[in-house]
Amino acid sequence: MGNKHTVFTHEQLEAYQDCTFFTRKEIMRLYYRYQDLAPQLVPLDYTSCPDVKVPYELIGTMPELKDNPFRQRIAQVFSEDGDGHMTLDNFLDMFSVMSEMAPRDLKAYYAFKIYDFNNDDYICAWDLEQTVTKLTRGELNAEEVSLVCEKVLDEADGDHDGRLSLEDFQNMILRAPDFLSTFHIRI
Amino acid sequence: MCAYYRNNAYEEDPDYPDYSGAQNHTRGYVKTRDYPDSPGPLNNSNYPSTRSNPYSVGSRSSDYPQSLAEPDYIGSQSNPFHPGSSREPGYPASQQNPDFADSRGGGHYASSRTNPDYLGPFGEPDYPGAQGNSNHPGPRSHSNYPGSRRNPEHAGSRINPYIDTLGEPDYPGAENHFKSLNFFEEPDYPGAEDYQNSPDIWGAPDYPGAENDRDYGSSENPVLSRTSSIQPSFHRGDDDPLGILGREDGDYPESIEMNSMEMANPYGHPVPGAPGNGYVNPAYVGDDSPGQAYGDPLLSGCDWLKSPQGQKLIASLIPMTSRDRIKAIRNQPRTMEEKRNLRKMVDREKSKQPRGVLDFHCCVQGLSSIALAYRRAKSSLSELLSSISLWQKTLKVIGGKFGTSVLSYFNFLRWLLKFNIFSFVVTFSFIIIPQLTVAEKNNLQFTGLEFLTGAGYFSDTVMYYGFYTNSTIRHGNGGASYDMQLAYIFTVGVCLVICFFSLLFSMARYFRNNFINPHIYSRGIAKLIFCWDFTVTHQSAVKLKQKNLSTEIRENLSEIRQENIKLTLNQQLARFCAHLAAWVVSTGVAVACCVAVYYLAENNSKFLENHREPGAVLLLPFVVSCINLAVPRLYSMFRLVERYEMPRHEVYILLIRNIFLKISIIGILCYYWLNIVALAGEECWETLIGQEIYRLLLMDFVFSLADSFLGEFLRRIIGMRLITSLGLQEFDIARNVLELIYAQTLVWIGTFFCPLLPLIQMITLFIMFYVKNISLMMNFQPPSKAWRAAQMVTFFILLLFFPSFTGVLCTLAITIWRLKPSADCGPFRGLPLFIQSIYSWIDTLSKRPSYLWVVWIYRNLIGSVHFFFILTLIVLIITYLYWQITEGRKIMIRLLHEQIINEGKDKMFLIEKLIKLQDMEKRANPERRDVEQLGPLHVREHDAAPDLRFRRSVQEDNPKV
Repeated sequence: MGNKHTVFTHEQLEAYQDCTFFTRKEIMRLYYRYQDLAPQLVPLDYTSCPDVKVPYELIGTMPELKDNPFRQRIAQVFSEDGDGHMTLDNFLDMFSVMSEMAPRDLKAYYAFKIYDFNNDDYICAWDLEQTVTKLTRGELNAEEVSLVCEKVLDEADGDHDGRLSLEDFQNMILRAPDFLSTFHIRI
Repeated sequence: MCAYYRNNAYEEDPDYPDYSGAQNHTRGYVKTRDYPDSPGPLNNSNYPSTRSNPYSVGSRSSDYPQSLAEPDYIGSQSNPFHPGSSREPGYPASQQNPDFADSRGGGHYASSRTNPDYLGPFGEPDYPGAQGNSNHPGPRSHSNYPGSRRNPEHAGSRINPYIDTLGEPDYPGAENHFKSLNFFEEPDYPGAEDYQNSPDIWGAPDYPGAENDRDYGSSENPVLSRTSSIQPSFHRGDDDPLGILGREDGDYPESIEMNSMEMANPYGHPVPGAPGNGYVNPAYVGDDSPGQAYGDPLLSGCDWLKSPQGQKLIASLIPMTSRDRIKAIRNQPRTMEEKRNLRKMVDREKSKQPRGVLDFHCCVQGLSSIALAYRRAKSSLSELLSSISLWQKTLKVIGGKFGTSVLSYFNFLRWLLKFNIFSFVVTFSFIIIPQLTVAEKNNLQFTGLEFLTGAGYFSDTVMYYGFYTNSTIRHGNGGASYDMQLAYIFTVGVCLVICFFSLLFSMARYFRNNFINPHIYSRGIAKLIFCWDFTVTHQSAVKLKQKNLSTEIRENLSEIRQENIKLTLNQQLARFCAHLAAWVVSTGVAVACCVAVYYLAENNSKFLENHREPGAVLLLPFVVSCINLAVPRLYSMFRLVERYEMPRHEVYILLIRNIFLKISIIGILCYYWLNIVALAGEECWETLIGQEIYRLLLMDFVFSLADSFLGEFLRRIIGMRLITSLGLQEFDIARNVLELIYAQTLVWIGTFFCPLLPLIQMITLFIMFYVKNISLMMNFQPPSKAWRAAQMVTFFILLLFFPSFTGVLCTLAITIWRLKPSADCGPFRGLPLFIQSIYSWIDTLSKRPSYLWVVWIYRNLIGSVHFFFILTLIVLIITYLYWQITEGRKIMIRLLHEQIINEGKDKMFLIEKLIKLQDMEKRANPERRDVEQLGPLHVREHDAAPDLRFRRSVQEDNPKV
């Protein structure tokens, strides 16, 4: 216990607890995971809120993310500048959203951002193509991919504007009850 | 003037449901009592002066925070303007109007902004353009409102002493949802529903304006005097835009409007007010955490907190309880930094609030430290609980390798284990420990075979019913007495009741989460794509999953390509025959199994008389377990004949057949026990039944172990070495779950006859977890089809509840109310019925005056037929009402869905119109290049160009055309 409080002050821990879906213990565990990624970079004392970023190259090596086809997008979405380099706060944010406790809306919001490759707040056909390619490792040919994108837009595009807005996406997610359990990274 | 007057009138609207309850109404009310007279002589030029009206300032201070605290504000703000306008009766007419696009967003609107006098004509309800214009002022008004927030005067009023009293109740989620969809309200929408909605919709738009010109309190005045009579919505449709236009007054620069409109959109699209975009569903903004604004991503950090929306959020967070507040903060889609700042600011604001505004406020302050301590205690407790959560790591590995669907089996197993731990703790502490204190010495010899048969040595231990005493346990003189009879029946009863409720609640929770809208299920290629399983982390598993996914997508596509290939009559007939035959055979097999089990059980006693070896009793459980092992496999072979189109149907049918088999076998055994064993006059028949159940459970366990170690292992060897085309098998979730359900049913029945059964089940489940885990890792490959795991788990729990648990309840009810306990053993010896113990207890209590209330409750509630009759009636009525509401909602959802589609078409139509206008304009003044840049292709393909901005630029240019 004593060790814990040298890393964070009591207030810091409490703030983290209030801002994430984690217990104190999980926060500490995540901190150590974070620290392990770059032991030279991350200080053992966070009481003075040091401005440290772990580069994406190291974040991407986490076993939880290593094989995830969307790892880069996840890191980009949760990092402050969209470059994938993460501070501890970003790191905790990421796992908080991906945790079991996070509500559907929050998850859907971030899932939408992850699938929105060009950050234009719509999932357009191009984004869908990217997604499908990532999901299938390029096993489908171009015609099939475009057919899939067309079908997806057909299915989910509520207002027929040829792209998925956040609302379309959420509406579709509502129909996919597995989303809550699959959009989840265990730590 | 006209505008202003109108505005006032519209605020007379009685529909401020949220306001009526607020305490500080009266302040604004009193101060501005005679305000309605004053606007009379006002005209447009005077209008600004009313803003500095002294009493309106007073009223602002009271009412302003109220609207801040209004939880739905964020969600409703961007919505409400549209429904009324498009709902208007004039709407269809104007659609036929060739100038429709013009009237809607065009010239009138633009000119109204520059020409204040134009507001007057707008007020005429029958003005043809009014309806069209009403669309646009809407967004304007709220854009206007955040702008006013930047006003330093307002900043002061944010820290408001009254805020705390204003905890507005949330709108129920459904209502929110509904409201938001209303945005797409269209002419053919049922009228009744319009009215039903309108209070919310039109209640909301007021706030922005009110904050703007600070005369809100005055306009609220009539709210109190008027009680009912919902105004037709088109009235509001007319009034509202005017009020807003009047207030807008051209004070605020365009840039702020645009900016703030972006912020007004709760989910933060940079395309403000674009038709598709305005559809913001407040349900997503949060059912119960009103402050949840999914803010503009463009603003970051402290900027965001200082932005009007951030301020609004802070204000809405302040009146919440700390629990809700934390929940709301957590649910913010913002970075940690922002959340922390938000938290800090809210805490600061909260501490700044002057005390003694209300009497109880001091108490609240005093209690806050207690609440804080309580919260800390709770969080440390949850930490403790999570630290003992079993198998976290193993589950992670399983999820990583096999995905969520297989994981659901293990989660179900863990859930059952927790259930049994609970049952064991209850029975152990209330039956077994008291019995152990008075236990007699066991004279029977222990051989070791008892572990299998459960008989012999174990018959005289706490394991079985027969061992328990019927006396009252009393230690020492004057110590508390403990009536074993009552303890036994109450413990088992309480255990079952708690199981019932926890099953019910978890089932309800699963249903709520997973069957939100099952009837709009489509084949869902979209779901395949967006529901990538993020839990899968193993490299080979990811590769396999990607491969499976591409196969599945291909299959799906080919299905779509050759959709609806009509089967010929012959094929249909053949298929129907196959189904029929499969059903007949499966039912026949199940019936045959039941008959076999029944005769075997009946003849078993004779057989046992001839064969004295203790192992002979294992025959029946062995046969039953063989049936349970073999028949499900036979059933799953039917799929070769039946050929279901949807794999989901196949799984469900297989489940139904299997559960029918297992439950009917248990049913026939129960019949045998209760009708033959219990009436045969054997000594201590309860213990005999307990032993049978123990043997069944144990044999089932042994068979599953053997199946895992031998069957699955052999299958792997065959698949890998001998017939490589078979490949590795997939984990059969349905069959495995049914085995768990079967065992759990036996445990529930057996708890009465063998109170230690939960402990045994605990041990078997614990071992099963590891065995299945090892077998899974060695012998199986990840499932190739996307499984709808979440719905399946719901279905499993339903099965556990419906045939299984209800069957157990029936069996035990028959036992307790109808059967005669054995004369020489067990806690109920000598009684004519088990329930007699309760009757005599009540009789004893009725002699003691201090316990008369228990007797009263028993006689009038539990023992009374009338009470249950009335209760059933009430429950039926409520169920019927809810059912009707659900039906209504379904219709509503369908209609709203159609509206979304129509609105989309509407949007496209408008855009086309605008493109035409644009072309016309281009021809008129070809030198304008900026409009050209926003060409139609630009809008559709390069999504960054916000539709509204595009449209607006045309609107402004329109007059020139």
